[in-house]
Amino acid sequence: MIQLKNISKIYGKAGSQQVKALDNVSLTINKGEFVAIVGASGSGKTTMMNILGMLDRQTSGEYYFENKVVSILSNNELASIRSGKIGFVFQKFHLLPKTSAVENVELPLIYTDHKDIRHMALEALNKVGLSNRIKHRSNELSSGQQQRVAIARALVNNPEMILGDEPTGNLDSQTGLEIVDIFQQMNRTGKTVILITHQQNIAEHTNRIIRIHDGKIVEDYRVQNPRNIAGELMKLDTMNK
Amino acid sequence: MNKKIIKSGVKFLLRHKLQSFFMILGVMIGVIFLCLTFAIGSSTEKQILDKMKGFFSSNNIFIMAGKGMKRGGPRSEGSVTTLKLEDMEAVLNAVPGVIRFDPMQTLSPCEVIYGNVNISTTIQGRSVDGEVVWNRTVTSGEYLNKEDVESAARVALLGSKIEKQLFGDSNPLRQQIRIGSVLFTVKGVLEEKGTDPHGNNLDMEVIVPITTMMSRLKNVDYIPAAKLEVDETKMAEIAEKIKTVLRERHSLNADVSDDFSVMTPVQAQEMVQKMKKIFTLYLPLISGVILLLSGIIISILMLISVSRRVSEIGLRKAVGASPKDIMLQFVFESVMISLIGGLLGLLIGLIGTWAIITKLGYTFYLPWQPIVLGVLLPVIVGILAGIIPARKAANLDPVKSLA
Repeated sequence: MIQLKNISKIYGKAGSQQVKALDNVSLTINKGEFVAIVGASGSGKTTMMNILGMLDRQTSGEYYFENKVVSILSNNELASIRSGKIGFVFQKFHLLPKTSAVENVELPLIYTDHKDIRHMALEALNKVGLSNRIKHRSNELSSGQQQRVAIARALVNNPEMILGDEPTGNLDSQTGLEIVDIFQQMNRTGKTVILITHQQNIAEHTNRIIRIHDGKIVEDYRVQNPRNIAGELMKLDTMNK
Repeated sequence: MNKKIIKSGVKFLLRHKLQSFFMILGVMIGVIFLCLTFAIGSSTEKQILDKMKGFFSSNNIFIMAGKGMKRGGPRSEGSVTTLKLEDMEAVLNAVPGVIRFDPMQTLSPCEVIYGNVNISTTIQGRSVDGEVVWNRTVTSGEYLNKEDVESAARVALLGSKIEKQLFGDSNPLRQQIRIGSVLFTVKGVLEEKGTDPHGNNLDMEVIVPITTMMSRLKNVDYIPAAKLEVDETKMAEIAEKIKTVLRERHSLNADVSDDFSVMTPVQAQEMVQKMKKIFTLYLPLISGVILLLSGIIISILMLISVSRRVSEIGLRKAVGASPKDIMLQFVFESVMISLIGGLLGLLIGLIGTWAIITKLGYTFYLPWQPIVLGVLLPVIVGILAGIIPARKAANLDPVKSLA
């Protein structure tokens, strides 16, 4: 589904001080994979996610999305791919303020040809277990609930690929696990899920871990026994009691 | 698709009421001004032209004492003592084409008393020819006659409104009233005339013989002005001859300028045109500038709004909004705001204008210009004001705006 060939991303103008955020990265991710991209801050993982999500363009190398060359697409064409095939979940949620949960989830549909956007948004909220919070405004929701709204927003277009940029970064460990649980469920329905994280324990819930350091892939391995969230949540529960 | 973006824009404006309010306010004030200036301008103009027909027909010339009608300058009426009744007699006799004249002399304010009713109003001195020259006769009793004027008789004609206020339903004719400290006999009641271009209610006026006015009420031997009826086919020629006669009588040397002024309908028309220019050119220009300013305000507020909504814009882009979609959204928001401001301004402006004009006693004419401009200009202002912020929003880098 995704293929990166010798991708480099350099910030700063030629001549001045340049930062190589990605250095000659090659990578293939197949449809239906659940991948964690891990690394310390400054390792280049966010740059990777921006390029994968077509929010940014690489300096050199080639990116193939469903066998199409991305670099030749116009901004409007990229917008249309993001709209139809990619769902984003951010660390800071990025919900619209003063706006209800359901309207936040409707946002991506505004830019599509879908007609019954309210119905689709409600369905997505149901999938993340927020059917009882649809009219609540962003500031009336807990951070875990806000992230669920954000996930519902990422799901509402029924995308091929979901990109999570530190989606558990602003959450406590239990809520974080609940969110990862949702990602696991999404992956089971056949969606490609890519999580960017610096938390090893979060990464261990995925099927494949790609470690980045100084803009290079230093490790790329399958997780033999991905951790089971339901069990861990139960363990946390008993600990709290 | 566009419909959904528009709906989303409307929701945004509703959620951010304060910001929307200030943007709307700017346009609203501009359009209110536009309405006021246009409506008051055109109503006043129509009013003046209508009254002009009664006050200043195409066969009238006004002669005024003093260097006179310098536009915008102080009127020297009253302080110039050089124009006499005899001057007018001379003009009538010496200038062919002058048919008749009526000298003017005014006393205002002046107390008019009957019984225990005491009203402060304007007293006009008139001659026999006033009836024709001013095209105003009596509805009961008689107009002034030659004898009244020659003997400076203490007789008075009452405007219909002051007559009602003094006498109510009883018959005023041959009753004694006091004007200032002098006793007068009511000789007639004047026909209704309404309000003149200066806003004076003519139906509150009292008319007395010019001679009585000069000798008994004001104690002067001059007049400030006179209205002449002339042969309108020889207007310019007559005006010139009047000047010659008056200069001769006032013994003015060639190097001294006139101590009087002669105004013909052409000059009156010019004055009206100049006035019209103020109302229909300068005032709308001012409201145009105000609209321009409100456009700048909208533009600035939208720019602030864009910088405050950077992460929203980044998010919209991330979830699939194209630069075009973002551009459309911001231009739409700005046009919406301006249009609402325009329509509100139009509503308030027209109601306000109607109130002011009615209060002034004028008839309200619904002007079409501000209605068209009040809708069109805000839309244009909205588009222009929205373009820069919208472009800025559309070109935001989603990566940076989501950081």
